Parts: sequence; C-alpha cells; structure tokens
Amino acid sequence: MKLQKDAMDWLDSRLGVRELLYNNLNGYLLPRNINIWYTLGAILMALLGLQFLTGILLLIFYVPDTEKAFASVTMIMNEVPYGWLIRYLHVVASNLIVAFLFLHMFSVLFMGSYKRPRELTWLSGFVLFNMGLVFCLTGYLLPWSQLSFWATTVATDAAGAIPVVGDFLVEFLRGGPSVGAATLGRFFALHVMALPMAFLGLLGFHLFCVRRVGISSAPFGDQYQPTELTRSFTHDEHLDGVPFHPNYTIKEISMVFFALAALVVITFFVPWLFIPPEALVPANPFVTPEHIKPEWYFLWTYQVLKIFPSKLLGLSAQAAVMGLMAILPFLDLGPERRPAKRPIFVTIYLLGIWV
Amino acid sequence: MNDSPDKLNERRTFLGIILGGIGVVVAGIFSWPLFRFLSPVDKGGKEQQVRIPREKVAVGGAYFFSYQGHPAVLLQLSAGEFRALSAVCTHLGCIVRWVTDAEEFLCPCHGGRFSAAGQVLAGPPPRPLPTYAVSLEGDEILIG
Repeated sequence: MKLQKDAMDWLDSRLGVRELLYNNLNGYLLPRNINIWYTLGAILMALLGLQFLTGILLLIFYVPDTEKAFASVTMIMNEVPYGWLIRYLHVVASNLIVAFLFLHMFSVLFMGSYKRPRELTWLSGFVLFNMGLVFCLTGYLLPWSQLSFWATTVATDAAGAIPVVGDFLVEFLRGGPSVGAATLGRFFALHVMALPMAFLGLLGFHLFCVRRVGISSAPFGDQYQPTELTRSFTHDEHLDGVPFHPNYTIKEISMVFFALAALVVITFFVPWLFIPPEALVPANPFVTPEHIKPEWYFLWTYQVLKIFPSKLLGLSAQAAVMGLMAILPFLDLGPERRPAKRPIFVTIYLLGIWV
Repeated sequence: MNDSPDKLNERRTFLGIILGGIGVVVAGIFSWPLFRFLSPVDKGGKEQQVRIPREKVAVGGAYFFSYQGHPAVLLQLSAGEFRALSAVCTHLGCIVRWVTDAEEFLCPCHGGRFSAAGQVLAGPPPRPLPTYAVSLEGDEILIG
C-alpha cells in the first residue's frame, strides 16, 4: 500500500493526478435518474477494445492476397490453437457493436439527447455509426469467401447509379473493373489502418463533447423540466446528482459484463447466426450464390433497392434519410425532450424502426 | 512605425488570404498524386478478343469466361448459333445464371430475368445485358 501511495504522490506532484481523478470520478456528478441506456457508450468502447485486440491477433496469420486469404482464414479456424475463438469473437463482436450502435442511437433519439447544445455530440456519433458500418463492410471482404465477394460486389456496384461519375466511382472503389486483388488491398488497408485511426480520433472528439457539455438528464419523471438555453457556453451541471464513481461506474461495469456474456454465449453456442454457409466457400467471380443476402444491418438498403423502380431513386431515398438523420439537431430546435410531449417525432421514430 | 488597428487588420486579412491560397495549392499538389495512386492501374491487359474452343459450350448450354475484366457468357442456342453477352446483371452487378429449361438468364440477387438476347424480361434491372461480337474461326469462337 505504501508503494502505491508513493507512486501516487510522485505522479500527483508532477501531473496533479489526484485533482484530475477527483474532477472526473468522485467529483463529477451525473443526473440522479440516469438509466441503463446511458451505459451503451461504455459497452461499445469495451467491445471496440476487444475488436482491436482480436484484430491484431488475427493479423498475425491472415494473408491479404486473393490466392491465400481464404486458406489463411481456414488455417486460423482449423490449425492455429484457439484461432477459431479469436475469429468468432471478432465476427460476433462486430455484429454486436452494430446492434449496440443502433440501440445507442435509438435511445438518444427517444430521449431527445441530440438537441441543442449537443449537436456536435450527435453529429460525431452519427459519423462514428457510419464508420462502424464501413468497418464491417471492409472487414467482410477479407476472408475472400463467396459471401465476402458478392456482398462487396453488390455494395460497390451501387455507386454506379450516381449520374456521370458512377462508373468511374465503381472502378475507383474496386481498384479495377471487378472486385479483385486491388479491392482486397484497399479494403485491407482501410480496415486495419485508416479506419481505426480515424475512428479513434473521432471517438476522442465525441467523448470530449460528452464530457465538456455534460451528461443530459433523462427526460422522465415529475422533476424533469425542459431548459431554455443561453447563448453562451454552459456546462450541464447536476449539483444534486450522484458521483460518476462509484455509482455510475458500477452500473457501467455490470452492463459491460452483460454484453460480454451475450458475446460469449453467441460465440460458443450459435456463431452460425453471423456465418452463413456461403462464408465457407472460397470466392468464385463467376457464380453468385443463390438467395444471397447482405448482413442484417444492410438488409434494409438491399430491400430499398429492390422496391424502387430505379437504382438512383433507391440510393437517393437512402441518402436523403441518412442526410436528414445527420442534421436532425439543426432541424428539431424545440427544447422539449419528453417523448410523451413529442407525439409526431415519436410516431415517425416508431414507424422508422418498424420499417 | 505605429500602425493603426485597421491597418493591422487589413494586413492580417491579406496574409490570411495568401496563406489560405498557398494551403489550397499545396493540398491540390499533394492530392493529385494521392488520387492517381488510388486510381485503378491500367496495365493494358484488357483483352480486346478472347478465343474459346468450340467444344467448351454445349448446344443449349452456357460457358462463363472473363472478358475485359468482367464475367461474360457464351451461349450456343442451336448448333452453330453462338451469342456472347456480359454476365453482370445491370441492376447491382451480380452474375446472372443461365436457366436451360426456360432459355433465359436469372439474377440470384433480386430475381431479374433476361432473355437469351439479353433483353430485360422482368425485375429491377434497368438495362439489357451488353452483347459482344462473335465470329467463328475453325474450331474456335472469337469474341470481341
């Protein structure tokens, strides 16, 4: 204990660590009515950390070459000790991350936490959500299976609907006329280097926004009243609140363990939920598998393209929805956050989830 | 040499514009090599013509091959009657499959159907399948 105190004293005399810890843990007060929906960010960060770890381990054996990629993944699964576990954790966690990203976004929308002064928190979070999807798309190609190949073919082909530059854009994304070695090279570079760096940078900004503006109160209960905002910056203080540590950290840790338990259960008992039979066949550029479907989180875009008579119209509709979502806090300017007092928004919200 | 605040502001604005302009030019200079680096490499290997032995494609059957970087298909509709088309569905780029009984192409992604001539019969494809010139040279079929 003395060694620990000495180390702390040493650090404190140089960096003021005790003050820093107090300001961000025991002295950092959160609203009393904070609920489990506020822990989704912590769950996402825990799963992201796991993705980095398993991703680095997979890199040791994975070969980004169209002739060797599928074989290297097969080797990881069958020959490398616990290779199957590392890969399944990576695959299942990627799906769980998307699921928790959706939940995080839905809870923020439901509670109106995206509203002023949290526009930048929302915008950075929305970009992070989309980057998460690009992470999944680029990672999907790497095993070079039938599933990988055709999911990437369909996804990149969609860009061809853009007038004038569409065909060029498709070739630019693929690095050639069809999905091939050049596509694998650029998707690999994106997945393991460019995206992680950009994601971490933006995540830092997102967390900075959360901390700087302050946690929003849950808009429930008799005590909640919408606040009129001042023009100048104010940190959202909760003077009668509960300390971040231990009250909130305990809640966060318990939810992180709940998510990890779900991850382990799926990994051990039903990994096939996320690995269909087409993922076990090496890529064949001449045969599109029958009944091929994209991952569950891209299913809506796939169906929209089927419903609309023109691909351009389908893509434009999707772009319009995503664009509106991105700028939502700049359109929805009312201070009211209670769901019961926002019937139109909640109706659109529920319809959107249902569709 | 005491400048008035207005004069200082003018000078700062001018310098800001100059620096911004230099920044844009430098960014442009560095963006072009980056853009070229990421653009598809033209290796000049896009074959203009492909030769396929006649016995590869049965009467009523289809033979898939690569033409100019894209999957293509060669049909022998009746003895000696050949037709070559792109095998890439014009909707989302999936590869169509030849349904021998119906004598038409079916896309497995969204159920688009094309005739043996490449015309759209049903489904979401916006355009027919492109066709390629076919000629016979002895025991070989020349495409393109």
